[in-house]
Amino acid sequence: MTRQPQGAGALQVSADREAGNAPASGWSFFLAVLRTRPQFALGYGIVVLIVLLAIFAPLIAPFDPRQANPAAFLQKPGWPYLMGTDATGLDVFSRVIYAPRIDLTIALAGTVVSALAGSILGAIAGYYETKRGLGRMVAGFIMRSSDVVQAFPVFVFAIAVVAVLGQSLQSIVLAVAFVNAPIYLRLMRSQVLSVRRLRYVEAAYIAGTSDLGILARHVIPNAMAPVLAQLSVNIGWSILLTAGLSFIGAGVEAPTPEWGSMIAMGYQNIITGHWWPSIFPGLALALTIFGFSLVGSSVEVLADPVRRGRLAGEIRSKRVRKTAATARA
Amino acid sequence: MSARNFHLPNLNRRNLLQAASASAAAAVMPRILDIPAAYAQAGSTLVIAAPATPQSLDCNFDVSLGTFEAIAALYDGLLGYEKIPDPQAPDARREDIAFHADKPGGVNMVGKLAESWELDPSGKRVVFKLRQGVMSNWGNELTAEDVRWTWNRAFELGALGAFYTAVCGLKRPEDVKVEDKYVVSFNVDEPNPLLLKIETNLYTPVYDSVKCKAEGGTDDPWARKFIENNSAGFGPYQLQQLVRGQQAVFQARPDYYGGKPAIDTVVFKEVPTSASRVQLLQGGAVDIAQYLQPLEIISLKNVPSVAVETVPASFMIWIELNAKIEPFDNVDVRRAMNYAFPQQEVIKAIYQDLASPLNGCMPNIYPGFTDEAFHYEHNLDKAKELLEKAGHGSGFKSTLAYNAGDPVQEPIAIIYQSALKKIGIELELKKVPAGSFYNFVTDRKQPMIFYVDSPWCPDPGYSLTLYFDSKSYVNYSNYANADVDKLLAEMAATADEAARIEKAKAAQKIIVDEAPWTFVAYPNYTMARKADLKGWTYYTSNNIRFQDFSR
Repeated sequence: MTRQPQGAGALQVSADREAGNAPASGWSFFLAVLRTRPQFALGYGIVVLIVLLAIFAPLIAPFDPRQANPAAFLQKPGWPYLMGTDATGLDVFSRVIYAPRIDLTIALAGTVVSALAGSILGAIAGYYETKRGLGRMVAGFIMRSSDVVQAFPVFVFAIAVVAVLGQSLQSIVLAVAFVNAPIYLRLMRSQVLSVRRLRYVEAAYIAGTSDLGILARHVIPNAMAPVLAQLSVNIGWSILLTAGLSFIGAGVEAPTPEWGSMIAMGYQNIITGHWWPSIFPGLALALTIFGFSLVGSSVEVLADPVRRGRLAGEIRSKRVRKTAATARA
Repeated sequence: MSARNFHLPNLNRRNLLQAASASAAAAVMPRILDIPAAYAQAGSTLVIAAPATPQSLDCNFDVSLGTFEAIAALYDGLLGYEKIPDPQAPDARREDIAFHADKPGGVNMVGKLAESWELDPSGKRVVFKLRQGVMSNWGNELTAEDVRWTWNRAFELGALGAFYTAVCGLKRPEDVKVEDKYVVSFNVDEPNPLLLKIETNLYTPVYDSVKCKAEGGTDDPWARKFIENNSAGFGPYQLQQLVRGQQAVFQARPDYYGGKPAIDTVVFKEVPTSASRVQLLQGGAVDIAQYLQPLEIISLKNVPSVAVETVPASFMIWIELNAKIEPFDNVDVRRAMNYAFPQQEVIKAIYQDLASPLNGCMPNIYPGFTDEAFHYEHNLDKAKELLEKAGHGSGFKSTLAYNAGDPVQEPIAIIYQSALKKIGIELELKKVPAGSFYNFVTDRKQPMIFYVDSPWCPDPGYSLTLYFDSKSYVNYSNYANADVDKLLAEMAATADEAARIEKAKAAQKIIVDEAPWTFVAYPNYTMARKADLKGWTYYTSNNIRFQDFSR
């Protein structure tokens, strides 16, 4: 059986047609979007910068981020310590640019695991919810379990997960994944509930395709769009959660360069005028989350056929006005 | 105020914001902490910002921070040390713990609940004559039966009481004997040098046995439940309120035998973060801020309304090197760990010079201390050489556990980790929550773990036995040396102070050379108070006593 036209794609084509434009896609459209919405460009710029810092940190950092030099404790920002040093003489700048290696790794891994687990469970829950028998019971069990997880404050639940599993990188990844999974689960379930009623799904069922085959080939691929849009929003939030866990001492072990743990190590010194050990990592953390939020906003727009169509129309109008202005000149 | 006299200052946006922020902070901070404004201003009220309120009021079972202060306020013991001016802080006083050959037992003491005392030359018996007419906070008169009941309680309940009975050589309840209504004797089988000293200890107070018996009845003959939440003692204050996690309020007793304390009411507030305690003291909302960080103490020295005194104390901080876990079962490895420790840099960077290097295995302010055997200057070459001698020339991996609740331990651990990395030792840092840290220490399963302590009895035999006798419960490094055990046993069995001090020095030389600890620091004790508050006295139990203060 050949693959059916995908629901989201069909909607997109229709929206583009409604907007009276040619289908908007490709690099030129993306660049045009960045020109029209400069905040999106800023977001992508920040994220790319942070990723590059993480990759090239060993080449950029002037000092070993884990090597304390107590002879140079609490040096003010300047030369050679661009962002100063902390109470143990660790170079704040080197640690700030090494930190995304840990924060991004945990956030990406946690988000991917939560998206995979949440999407699969959500698809099962959505697909079997209106059926009879064991499948319906499993769907009910999944949704009630999700209710239980979401009933707890997210941060408290993440602390509990780390406390149970023990303090390690894997535990933090699992904690991040565990508290995020219900978001994807609910998103996917709601999509599957509508997709599974579409004719091509019914056709596949009549053709004798198994439930697993229908889910894997026809339902999940056509219900993924909102999940993908949620990913980038969630990465920023996961970085914040990771830093939060480290701040309260449930995250990475000292002296691993990580923004939350750096803030925790330095915040007590703010009152005594030594602001730099915690303010710089705090700024880096805020900037990164801001960047991922902007990227998330752009993905929300681009993944939504209607908003994307409107944006394409706006770009087209601008081009037309610009051309007219040029002609007049 | 008339309308004519009222005029607005030159208001611009910055002034307005500053004024609004200051007013809001001033109004909100005491309110958040539930400090009544009258308390913060009243001359006869003392407001203390402390890291914790008392948990239990029973000193037989609780050694938490707030409990120390509560016990000192609610109870009195038989004896105390004479007080002398502190040589380093002109406005402060401290106990005279020096050896005095001309005094009974070699100690300069004053009577508290005991009016007089007589130490038998054999060192096996001491007789106390109690003050007459001393009343408890429940109106019962102090008698010899109260002293006997108190020590019987220690025998029966065990825990800390058992430690104190053992330390001063008491083997059975009958060893504490009522001789008369106001005379009580302590009788031991062997000469014991601590018979007098132990009566100065904060945790050997006398209970009002009449009240305790009445409250406990037959179900709870030692009044555990009652004592945990109430007091029945002969101290200068009585408990007015205890809300754990918030505050304890103490009221001065007008009928206290030593005269009513100058401060009528003491409000002991729980303010968990030291930065908040600093802000409250700076803002005038509290009179004393306890347990501040070195940088915070430095910052307070420039505040005119605040006085800061920092004096050498009995505190010690060290890292236990577990002698039963490889590779610390090798004495050369333990020595190498000390040569690798950048002690001077830690004192400067972490303690801001508000500590001195731990150059011995007992408090350096106690009689009998010696630093003659201490030779561990920071020398990585020497450390490497010792590691090679021990067969660990290529280094090894180990774990250092530290207390998440103590802000200095993590930075010290990071500095130590960096230093050890240079000689091939890979140190993993394990942060242990404050609530479970003590269990980690007592389990003795960690290869390396921080420990902070101070032996409360200013005596070399007491201090060394505590940490280095192979049978001691507090010997958390599992250190065992037959010669040291022999010396400590000999010290415990003689009242000849000169001979004891010689033996103490011999034991210290062996212990320091065999390095069961990584020697870190002697942190100072710091009193940060309002400048108009007078009378602070440093005690070797490292706590304050409200009755010392006046304005």
